[in-house]
Amino acid sequence: MPHFTNKKLILLLVGTIFLVALISFSLRDRQNASVPEQFIKDTVGFAQSIVAKPANYITGIFNDINSLLNTYEENKRLKMRLEDFAVLQAEVNTLQSENKSLKELVEKEDSLKDFDPLKATVIARNPDQWEEKIILNKGSSHGVQLNMAVMTANGLIGKISLVTPFTSEVELLYSNNPNYRVSAIVQGEKSDVFGLIEGYDTERNELILKRIDSSFKVNKGEQVVTSGLGGIYPKGILIGEVTEVTTDDYGLTKMAYVKPAASFSMLEDVIIALRTSISVDGSDGSGTNADLTNGTENETTDTNEGEE
Amino acid sequence: MIRFLIPFVAVVLFLLEPEFALFSPISWGEQTLVLVPRFVILYLIFISIYYSRKRACLYGLIFGLLYDVFYIDIIGLYSFLYPLLCFVAGSTVKFIHQHLSVTTILSVVLVAIMEVFLYYFFHFIQFTTIPVSDFLSNRLLPTIIANLLFLIMLGWAFKYLINARLLQRARDNS
Repeated sequence: MPHFTNKKLILLLVGTIFLVALISFSLRDRQNASVPEQFIKDTVGFAQSIVAKPANYITGIFNDINSLLNTYEENKRLKMRLEDFAVLQAEVNTLQSENKSLKELVEKEDSLKDFDPLKATVIARNPDQWEEKIILNKGSSHGVQLNMAVMTANGLIGKISLVTPFTSEVELLYSNNPNYRVSAIVQGEKSDVFGLIEGYDTERNELILKRIDSSFKVNKGEQVVTSGLGGIYPKGILIGEVTEVTTDDYGLTKMAYVKPAASFSMLEDVIIALRTSISVDGSDGSGTNADLTNGTENETTDTNEGEE
Repeated sequence: MIRFLIPFVAVVLFLLEPEFALFSPISWGEQTLVLVPRFVILYLIFISIYYSRKRACLYGLIFGLLYDVFYIDIIGLYSFLYPLLCFVAGSTVKFIHQHLSVTTILSVVLVAIMEVFLYYFFHFIQFTTIPVSDFLSNRLLPTIIANLLFLIMLGWAFKYLINARLLQRARDNS
């Protein structure tokens, strides 16, 4: 009998070593899927998209009922805004045509703002929600690439973190990954203020905008949009609204809490932004949680590497 | 027919999990509650207790691997935990009475243990930074309640299906 248990023990030991090796191997490179992985992902994704259709339909009905109940109040509120809207529309039209003619005048063709929208449907959300991830039904065969911006009609929600031929994974803004940064602008009254969206406060459910120059003034209620300077995201996608401004841990720069404009639950249809102007390949620590900052968290000098 | 129905139900539950995850997180007053649907493993624990431990471990390995590749991108996590849980559940059969309510409670307890293990794993690899108290109140408790509700609603159906399969097998053998 002791001989038998020894054998079992060795088997258990070898199994544990194999398991740890497998886990650490797959943790190392999570942004590229190997061929068998891609095959499994596409197959499951296909089955998932079939199931997602009736499920989306049913959640759609729930949403409709919900909005039907709020119709009266919403209508009242919208009517009030309608009058402002007509004025705003006229203003936008004149500005647009003016902008166009000015652009022609200086022969500036592409802008950081331009992007081709690609509509995609959410087919699944990571069921154990340790990482905030959703899976879309568009993949590299539709032109999706790594690190593209993903948004809803309300605002930015995340970026593409993994692509297979027919599916893609989105890492949401609600991420603990320290290398997940979005270069952003606070649209102030007088001038724009630059900062980086870095991290997420789980207690407040809000994003944290760091590295704001302390000589600039940021007010509560101002809007935060992407700057387009990180190299991948188009410019001007709404991220959220400033709710509180404080100085950061070391008192050198300011930081602000930003309430995201997009809602992150019940995501159904999203837009992937294919930037038209040349994009720079921003490295992102290869999608791992490795600390790229090398302990220089609050020195703005050598952290450009991980932007966006 | 019933022969294929058992794996088919597992596949359907596997595909339904992420759809239910779309409802989460839920805002409850000040708190955000995270509900994690664990339908597949609950069903596999039922199979392990009422049908066959070996079969359950095999299904656990397959679905765990699919789960790892499709959602988590860390191969070896769920494909280890699922068969392990099935194995433990199947081993309790000798000691514990197999009444439906006992099985339900046992399944939920096992899932809770798995959640705690996963919390420490993801904490270890720094995917999450939430403190233990937050994990217990905002994640574990809602997850246990949601999965318990699921089992109360569908546990009898699982048992009915498995019993039908056992009867059929007995008839084939005789």
